[in-house]
Amino acid sequence: MSAILEQLAPESTLADDRYADIRRRAHQRLMQHGFPDLKTEAWKYTSLKLLEKRELSTASGDVVASPEALPFSADVIRFDGGLVDEAPTNLPAGVRLEPIDPVELVNLDYGDRAGAMAWLNLARFEQAWKLVIESVLDRPLVLAMTLPEGFSASVHPRLKIEVASGAEAVLIEQQRDHGEGLVNIVQDIELQRGARLRHVISRRNAGSVWVQRTRVSVAADADYRCCALELAGRLVRQDLAVHLLEDGANGEIDGVAFVDSRQHVDWHTAIDHEVGHTNSRESFRILADGSGVGVFNGRIHIQRGADDSHSDLNTANLLLSENARINTKPELEIYAEEVTASHGATIGQLEDSALFYLRSRGLPVDQAMALLKFGFAAAPLEQAQPAAVREWLNADLHSVL
Amino acid sequence: MLKISNLHVAIDDKEILKGVDLEIGPGELHAIMGPNGSGKSTLGYALAGREGYDITAGSVEFEGEDLAEMEPEERAAAGLFLAFQYPVEIPGVNNAYFLRAALNAQRKARGEEEIDSMNFLKAVRESLKSLKMDEALLKRAVNEGFSGGEKKRNEIVQMAVLQPKLAVLDETDSGLDIDALKLVAEGINAQRDGKRSFLVITHYQRLLDYLTPDRVHVLSDGRVVESGGEELAERLEAEGYAFLEEGSEA
Repeated sequence: MSAILEQLAPESTLADDRYADIRRRAHQRLMQHGFPDLKTEAWKYTSLKLLEKRELSTASGDVVASPEALPFSADVIRFDGGLVDEAPTNLPAGVRLEPIDPVELVNLDYGDRAGAMAWLNLARFEQAWKLVIESVLDRPLVLAMTLPEGFSASVHPRLKIEVASGAEAVLIEQQRDHGEGLVNIVQDIELQRGARLRHVISRRNAGSVWVQRTRVSVAADADYRCCALELAGRLVRQDLAVHLLEDGANGEIDGVAFVDSRQHVDWHTAIDHEVGHTNSRESFRILADGSGVGVFNGRIHIQRGADDSHSDLNTANLLLSENARINTKPELEIYAEEVTASHGATIGQLEDSALFYLRSRGLPVDQAMALLKFGFAAAPLEQAQPAAVREWLNADLHSVL
Repeated sequence: MLKISNLHVAIDDKEILKGVDLEIGPGELHAIMGPNGSGKSTLGYALAGREGYDITAGSVEFEGEDLAEMEPEERAAAGLFLAFQYPVEIPGVNNAYFLRAALNAQRKARGEEEIDSMNFLKAVRESLKSLKMDEALLKRAVNEGFSGGEKKRNEIVQMAVLQPKLAVLDETDSGLDIDALKLVAEGINAQRDGKRSFLVITHYQRLLDYLTPDRVHVLSDGRVVESGGEELAERLEAEGYAFLEEGSEA
């Protein structure tokens, strides 16, 4: 993978600004560890070799790419080509977008080569923003990231999101890729005491390699709920780690991914119960058609002393063709007492009996199959709130099935 | 309406129907009775076109058309309806959405205009009411979490909305208590308009008490071995299917 290193991380191109020392340190760590390969456990099913074949330019700020219109009212922050020129002036009361203080980036550690893409982000980020939400928002806040056709750069967006004590928000990431570049995002989300965040990820990609690492920390009585609709792309890797740090913290993940030929999606989630009296729930579904590949790894970790914690993890998967592949793995590690932790994993195919039932009522075979796929895929989206957002996600799902 | 001639049907090369002859005219209600394993449900599935139910000999004509040449959805659009013995649960698919999609698919196939949602809802609500079904069922997933009786009644609701020319009811009475049985019978009778035909597959006579069939046929070992009027059903109820054995020995 040294070719990727050469291509992606030539030291001479590192920007010389107040983050320069941070980038240099990250660059050294990246060179030291190298990139993951198929022997790296966390990257066993997902190869980054595709990047070697790409001539990626450096991201520039002059990309203009209008996000798709939304069928509900919302406040939108645009990341055209992955970047924001300057903080928008029309943000709702209690919301700020500002550059991150370098101090906050000094002690970050992404470990060994499994964390290479996060090191790469820290070595090459163009901008580092902090989004602060300090009030109860009355309509969704949308981060619209659009990569236009012909996009062939590498971009490394970096975003910290703070939801202050008592604040509440529906935060939607509307991510649309039409290009063939590299998008390598690192996000840190912090929910302070009693904060509530509904985090919606709606992603539909074309040819870009999309790597996103999201780390969420949840303080006492705070509530984090993620709902994701992943409509694939050439290569997508999402890491989502939720850390339940204090009493009463709640973390939930609902997601569905659809992959077709020449598409690869890999979701690695981890929910870490660091203390007791914390709850989590996760439901993730993959539908794989054509020669598509879907990977799901869901880890639940209940640490020593995190007694009276409760967790439920469920993954269901649908193989729609002989050449499609799904690798799914629930992982439970429990070191505490008085814990309830349940998990289930299934991989199946469309049922002939259900298909016949629908056809016997007059639905043509294509329509019957689409309805069955939709019925399977829509279940995790039922958790999405408010209803207008749920309907928007359902409509998007409908459009691909 | 329906003309079955010397019908042979095999599943996995095992012959289940071994030469069934049956003719149903417009507006007629015929009952098929028979012991377990006689091939009753196979006949229903073969008529509806289930994959794996291979017609190896004979023919089925539905309004002059060869059913064997038609896909299940084409049969539905032509006016054939099968009420399933075990209605299938379809998680995640809304009952009302499904039924409207099915009706519109049939109408489209027949070159008719789509039904608007007002008229659709009116039709569904009426049949739900007559079958004493909760309207909330419309918002639930198809058959999911329905009781056995609700599933069977839901089949009759579908029949009432889809308005087929021929309805094949496969043991719609099984698993119903007497009140539900009466409702289902009323639902069927409400659809009898002198043109619509019915083939009622049942194990017991009790449903037929409310339906007054024009003809009763007894299926045994893949063949129709007896046909008659209502009195045949009564005789079966009184004597059981044992006489079939005697008959074949004689």
